[in-house]
Amino acid sequence: MPWIQLSYERRVAWQLRLILLPSVLLLLAFVIYPAVYSIYLSLTNEALTGAAALKPRFVGTRNYARLFSDAKFWNSLLVTLIFVIGSAVIGQFVLGLVSAVLLRRPLRWKPIFNSIILLPNAVPEVVAGFMWISMLAGGERATLSRIVAFFGIPAADWLQTFPLTMIIIVNTWRGIATAMILLTAGLSAISEEIYEAARMDGATPRQMFTRITLPLIAPTIFLYMLVSTVSTIAIFGFVYALTRGGPGGATELISIYIYNQSFTAFQLGYGSAVAVVALAFSLLIGVVYVRALKVEV
Amino acid sequence: MRKALLAGLWAAGLSMAVTAAHAETIRIANHGQAGIDAMKSTVAEIEKKYGVTVEVVEYPAPDKDYVTKLLTELAAGNGPDIFSVPSASYVADMVAAGYLAPIGKELKAWDGYNQLYDVAKELAVSPDGETYVLPSMLGINQIYFRRDVMDKAGISTEQPKTWADLIDRAKEIRAKTGQYGLLFPAGVAWGGGAFEEGFQHLLVGSKTPQLATADGKLNLTGEGIKDVFGVYKELIDNDLMPIQPLLGPEPWVIPKYEMFPAGKLVATTCGSWCYIFDWGRESKNPIPNVEKVVGTWTIPGQTSGQYVLAGLAAPWAVNSKAANVELAKKALLEIGSVPTEVSYAALIGNIPARKDAAADPDFQKLTELVPIHAAAENGVYLKQAAGFSAVSEGVARATEALLRKETDAAGAQKILVDYVKEVLGDDAVQ
Repeated sequence: MPWIQLSYERRVAWQLRLILLPSVLLLLAFVIYPAVYSIYLSLTNEALTGAAALKPRFVGTRNYARLFSDAKFWNSLLVTLIFVIGSAVIGQFVLGLVSAVLLRRPLRWKPIFNSIILLPNAVPEVVAGFMWISMLAGGERATLSRIVAFFGIPAADWLQTFPLTMIIIVNTWRGIATAMILLTAGLSAISEEIYEAARMDGATPRQMFTRITLPLIAPTIFLYMLVSTVSTIAIFGFVYALTRGGPGGATELISIYIYNQSFTAFQLGYGSAVAVVALAFSLLIGVVYVRALKVEV
Repeated sequence: MRKALLAGLWAAGLSMAVTAAHAETIRIANHGQAGIDAMKSTVAEIEKKYGVTVEVVEYPAPDKDYVTKLLTELAAGNGPDIFSVPSASYVADMVAAGYLAPIGKELKAWDGYNQLYDVAKELAVSPDGETYVLPSMLGINQIYFRRDVMDKAGISTEQPKTWADLIDRAKEIRAKTGQYGLLFPAGVAWGGGAFEEGFQHLLVGSKTPQLATADGKLNLTGEGIKDVFGVYKELIDNDLMPIQPLLGPEPWVIPKYEMFPAGKLVATTCGSWCYIFDWGRESKNPIPNVEKVVGTWTIPGQTSGQYVLAGLAAPWAVNSKAANVELAKKALLEIGSVPTEVSYAALIGNIPARKDAAADPDFQKLTELVPIHAAAENGVYLKQAAGFSAVSEGVARATEALLRKETDAAGAQKILVDYVKEVLGDDAVQ
């Protein structure tokens, strides 16, 4: 039997390949093939309706040329950048870190606090979107308007007046738990003896945080940044449910722009070109994180 | 071995039986619960008459999501056998994409054909001369106004004679009541409504009343288009129409379902369905005594003339790749029966395209719709052309720029022209 004649190492290698095979096949079918097909589509005038749906033509780089002079595309990139920095890099990270640090301490109601922070992740994103619509709606009876009325602030249609700020707040609310879990894992890897030694040397809590905690969880922070940045760029569902990209493109993230081009204007070719560029941006960000910051993924 | 062989044969036989059973199932995509309710008796009739099973699938609302799902399925080759097209402006492009089966021969041989209003027959004919949709219902569009609010404020409710007259009336409403004077649907979020429920109304009475040229191209550089955008600009700049709600995700909800019933918006374009679905007996926020409280104006022309805009309301079509196209065509014509049309009128408020619906006792009970039905024959419309769905989106983008005060009328026209050229290519635009 040839199988028996193989050395132990080669058998293990083959076993590993076999174990990996289903994942590789799934990746090929649902990630690599669609990505390659998107690149192909981006070079055509493929559409969902009209003559181009029946007989799509190869148009070379026309879609890309159009994209670079498309003000709405650049607007969506800017909106996405602000959204990612506001919600993932600042909002979720800061509040996630604060939660992780606070919940590391012995607290009486710790499991309850943990559950409260985790709850937003248990709500489906479209349901969360509609829930927030009712909270942020215009009129005096909307939840937020009633809360701010206590402080003498007049009611507003929050999604109309501060649309981008509102979706940043909602996404921060949704993402704190992920940040907290990852950062808690990073914090738990720091030995208590290091803090003990620092205390004996007379270090203040602030010094311990800035000189011990932060440097030691830096790899976790960067890993979190990588994951949250890329996943936030791809967010679609709850923002679409909340605002559909409006008002007037104020919350039109790149994902919503891709959807609008492909499935509202029905231009699959152009939508694919935008998607390819968005993919390139995501890859670029990933490379920056992984290479420049020397993160081990 | 023999057992395995028998099991295999049994499985193959079962599979064939299931496939055969599927061939006798007609899948109908319908839009919203009201539409499904209106179709109930028709579905039973189709099943009884043709011995088939009809599966009615509710597709998502609003219109844009409906169209997206429908087109994606049709492109993938697994669309429903029969479906309604929520906006007639999509029809020519769906024909160009090869999604719709021609039904001209069957329609002309159908006993209900002679009962159709001429305007319905004309609207159903595509640019290639063939008919692909059943014109079962009509949308008759006019301007609806709150007679009670205007009477109370001492404002004339007489028919405005020109666009200038109409704008002056809106200004008077604003000045005397403090409420918004006139709404034309606008912006990207309203979808096809910006074109179908707003832009078209004015265009038909403008200096250049048609977009389609004799050679099937689109003429988007006409003076009338700029003038129409000028009306929007004037309404927006003078704070005569509500702007913020139109920039939100469901822009029709606040103005149509809240502001108009509350008298905070005094006049708006709408179709006959507003008397039933938006503010009438099927509304969640009805206006009491709607027939008397809400009056209608025809749409005045730019300098003269009165226009009642007619359009096909969610016409029905057969998928060119239906499992059994001939059977689907027969089933389609059942949707054009008088009982189905009256049922749609009662639940949604569109107007039956058949003249003989007027004699139906159930339709006569719909007193709000009877006079509109009688006036349907005089409806005017835009000639359809391939590319209208791009024009519709272009109008939405142009009016959105006006709503955001980013451009003027000429700039809005440029946005429209540039968008349509980008999508369809320079050749499609004259």
